[in-house]
Amino acid sequence: MNENEIIEKAQKGDRAALSKLIKMYEQTVYNFAFKICRDKEKAEHTMQETFLSMVKSINQFSGKSKLSTWLYTVVSNHCLMMVRSNKKHAYTSLDDDDALIDEKNISDWSITPDKITENSELSEILDKAIDKLPPDYRIVFMLRDIQGLSTEETGKAINLTVPAVKSRLHRARAFLRNELNKSFSYEQ
Amino acid sequence: MNNDHIIKCKEVMNHICDTLGEDLNSPTCTSIKKHLDNCPSCQKYYNSISQTIQIYKKYEVKITSETHLKLLDFLGLDDCE
Repeated sequence: MNENEIIEKAQKGDRAALSKLIKMYEQTVYNFAFKICRDKEKAEHTMQETFLSMVKSINQFSGKSKLSTWLYTVVSNHCLMMVRSNKKHAYTSLDDDDALIDEKNISDWSITPDKITENSELSEILDKAIDKLPPDYRIVFMLRDIQGLSTEETGKAINLTVPAVKSRLHRARAFLRNELNKSFSYEQ
Repeated sequence: MNNDHIIKCKEVMNHICDTLGEDLNSPTCTSIKKHLDNCPSCQKYYNSISQTIQIYKKYEVKITSETHLKLLDFLGLDDCE
């Protein structure tokens, strides 16, 4: 059975089909929510609210966009509400474009992406870097670069113009790259 | 490295951040590609931006079975397990 057939069954009230859809997307939604919320309980809560929205509105899903894109829109907005309610965290300002790209700080890296899995020291480096990135930038990086939404889809999901998505993505990429460069650069 | 070259590198690096993953066939992109072929510094920058994205793509926080069951319970679908 393909995804559209499962969705049709779920729309007709088939609870097993709903459960199947949840199994298909829970890992992606949880991973996304955790990376934005930076907290297990908040990620769980956000995921629950996202799937509750899906269960309530599955009948209105027209199939014009992919279910995954629709879920990213819902989870993104739940995440943004969650992180904006926590104003205690002070984030680095990313307003200074010149400071983001420092030509003196360019070197080869001693890491390749395939070394990432199951290495807790590396996970800690990645966590620390993304933790410093303001959530409004983090969410654009996650939607566009990690989940592979187009610039237009990313803008629609979080109500941003295409130039605003591009600007935030540019800064998020440069910021994360600079943070990782401190750990991964040969010339440190 | 003269000032002119420094400005060009900065532009290229900015452009890399802007357009990675986008269509690279515009005239600007063609000259950027040409610059990249001959500039080790910009190549390193390009690689590190590209690696940053790949590293975060590979880094996945796994859902536990406890969290999965809590979700089904929350939605009243625990009997569908």
